[in-house]
Amino acid sequence: MLVAVSCSSSSTPGASASAGATETAQQGGRVIEATTTDISTIQPVLSNDTASARIIGLIYDSLLLQDPQNGEPKARLASYTQSSDGLTYTFEINAKANWSDGKPVVGDDVVTAIKAVGKSKKTVRKSNYQDVQGFKEYSAGTATTLPGVKVDPANPKKVSITMTKVSCPAILDLNTIQPLPTQVFGKYVTDASKDEIDTAAENTAPTVFSGPFKFTEWRKGDQVILDKNPTYWQGAPNIDQYVYKVVANSTAITNGLKTGEITFGTIQAKDLADMQTVDTVKITKYPALGYTFIGWNTASPTAIGLADKRVRQALAYGIDMDQVIKAVVFGEAVKNVSHHVTVQWAYPSGVQLEQYKYDKAKALSLLKDAGWTPGSDGILQNAAGKKFNLTISTNSGNTERETLATVAAEQYKQLGINAKAAPEAFAGLVTKLTTGDSTLEATIIGWSLGGDVDPYSIWHSSNIPDPAKKVEGFGFTYFKDPAMDKAIEEGRNPSNGDCSIAARKKQYETFNKILNENQPYNFGYENNVLAVSQKTLQNFTPAPYQTVYNIQQWWIKK
Amino acid sequence: MRNFLIRRVLYAIPTLIGISIITFAIARLAPGDPIRLFTFGIRDFTQEDYLRLLHAYGLDKPIPLQYVDWVTNALRLNFGDSLIYHREAGAMILERLPNTLQLAITALVLQLVIGVPLGVVAALRRGTWVDGAIRVFGVAGHAIPAFWLGQILIILFAISLRWLPSQGMLTVGKDQMDILDRLKHILLPAFVLALVGIANYSRILRTETLDVLGQDFIRTAHAKGLRPRVVVYVHALRNSLIPVVTALGGILATLVGGALVIEQVFSWPGIGQFTFQAAIAKDYPIVQAGVMIASILLVVSYLLRDITYAIVDPRIKVS
Repeated sequence: MLVAVSCSSSSTPGASASAGATETAQQGGRVIEATTTDISTIQPVLSNDTASARIIGLIYDSLLLQDPQNGEPKARLASYTQSSDGLTYTFEINAKANWSDGKPVVGDDVVTAIKAVGKSKKTVRKSNYQDVQGFKEYSAGTATTLPGVKVDPANPKKVSITMTKVSCPAILDLNTIQPLPTQVFGKYVTDASKDEIDTAAENTAPTVFSGPFKFTEWRKGDQVILDKNPTYWQGAPNIDQYVYKVVANSTAITNGLKTGEITFGTIQAKDLADMQTVDTVKITKYPALGYTFIGWNTASPTAIGLADKRVRQALAYGIDMDQVIKAVVFGEAVKNVSHHVTVQWAYPSGVQLEQYKYDKAKALSLLKDAGWTPGSDGILQNAAGKKFNLTISTNSGNTERETLATVAAEQYKQLGINAKAAPEAFAGLVTKLTTGDSTLEATIIGWSLGGDVDPYSIWHSSNIPDPAKKVEGFGFTYFKDPAMDKAIEEGRNPSNGDCSIAARKKQYETFNKILNENQPYNFGYENNVLAVSQKTLQNFTPAPYQTVYNIQQWWIKK
Repeated sequence: MRNFLIRRVLYAIPTLIGISIITFAIARLAPGDPIRLFTFGIRDFTQEDYLRLLHAYGLDKPIPLQYVDWVTNALRLNFGDSLIYHREAGAMILERLPNTLQLAITALVLQLVIGVPLGVVAALRRGTWVDGAIRVFGVAGHAIPAFWLGQILIILFAISLRWLPSQGMLTVGKDQMDILDRLKHILLPAFVLALVGIANYSRILRTETLDVLGQDFIRTAHAKGLRPRVVVYVHALRNSLIPVVTALGGILATLVGGALVIEQVFSWPGIGQFTFQAAIAKDYPIVQAGVMIASILLVVSYLLRDITYAIVDPRIKVS
């Protein structure tokens, strides 16, 4: 799936990477990655943003590593096994794994991390551990131990975690928080501790590390400096220093890549043509782990047509998505027709999905079948004379989505729908979506699909918001289907305990087939990620799930 | 002078209280809530989690009570913990304030060092091409948008000529005390930030100098046989500068405000960029701390203006 595109007339696609693989790595040098947001913390328990996750991932190794290409969990700091009843995961930490202070990484460090999540009042990660036996009680402060987490007395590097029920996402959920050095954070998770972990000094200036880099300095708002960890258990990196440089926006990233001030960063599609004229950089394209979509409110009291499957299908046939992709993201995306995207193992490759190729005549026919015919003014109306008005909301300030809303509205006008784009502040839009505000008719936003493939929070009927009962959720299309619920449940908590990829994939094929047919979303498109690096950087091979997974192998060609 | 200062400081108190109430109200009453914003899309995030976080940040209390809490803490110089960074907001603003002040003060110096001589020269060369060129520069300085000029200068001096860096305060890896490197980084942003001021001061100085040069005391000075340079720079300029000093009132606050755009263009890690991003993310404590600290700057700069005004023109008594 990875496509490397060279921008220089003098080099061929992937030339730098292949050269890097065959030459002897040179030691030293500095890598500067550009980011548009500063990190918020260096504490995994409090982290909730990609910037912080980058730095945390470089200084603290996670138990497992998601396969860079398809997201399957693989051994990293630890290998794991699952008990026959599917309830217990046993992690065995690599014998060579040690902290930068020389102490071994042990099971107690896993316990410390889980206890830290339980103690924290400001973490957003408690749900990842909700099914661990005793976690809820520990988190609520009604218990001082975690009976579900046990370190093997005979082997301190072995730790088992027992769940209250079989949960397929659990293996990646348990991987959310990296083991924390007990010699540093143990004092914040004692029986007497309250939420001191939230304000620990080491959250902004960590002192002991298990990853390939050591924390050196955080110049707030400007840069984070990491130096290589010479005792890293998998071997010290070739490069001496890694700097995470905060810049204002994507234009600044483009400028910095051109001048060489930045070693690598991600650019926007609008800057690609310009970047392709720079002969000192390499451009690597790969599909993003997510998609941009138009969500239909199937229970809208104003756009009542959206309740009809035929209308939603017409809205899929009636928009030329390939043309939209050219207009909105300069062709740097691929059309999407399912919830799971092509790079995920759960992508429904085994079933035939309707591709909804642009077909205006078919769209008009479906609308007619659903009772929507043009009135005297050309606007579609139903038998009761109600006009088909449609407001497409999106978050203002996101140029791509604003353009998509405008282009989509223009195309739907061609069908006779009185459509208009309505950008509004993201904070307000998010509140409307999660609380089930009925004024929303259609909404353009995007999902990022990292971690497990479980779609429960978005598509299970229990997550449909209900303002009357003050129930919130991400099921803002109000679409539900018993067969889809069943497939989601079986993919998450299988009745036969089978969490194998093959078994889950089958469930998600059913799930995606139902979605594809019913079109509660127009599933829009998957963007391409455009990663740009200096040609001097060798072995830089970013992939959908990981960017810096092989950073020990990176080196700078002098 | 002491009574004057005390009176001005007392006047500032209701102003700052008013600003705090307005900022607080605008932030809290705008649609959306920060917890939903930064937890949107988290898998299995529950209603219970949402309520826990609301409570942890004190956002479950009625808004007037939240304001009382905030004021009580702010008086102890605690502006509350950032919702995103989990650190005290005032400290985070103060960490970045020196960067913004460094940019603003450099821009102010450039405005005076370039703007004042340009105005005087334009006046002395009235009607010549020099005057015309300076006036065109003045109009252009007002008309050209800063974000556009900044980008053009980056393309020219950083990308094409490679003379100057395109962003930041210091080359990565350089010693923090490397003055030359810092100067290279500040030159373009400070110039762009200063441009409107340069145009303003050159225009004001030109008008004022022409006005002063036509007055009787200047003719008297010439008649006394003083050298033209002395007449211009000692007698005329001092009088011409009074409106400049007036214009300086609030200039620091204006520059700090203007730095928002410049910080965005040149990735300058100051409070403008930081507060702007916090406003989008609805990080209330940072927005409030940023606005209050900027407001205090405004009050202080007006105070300095009045004091300077009295020094430049002894006829004006601070009483």
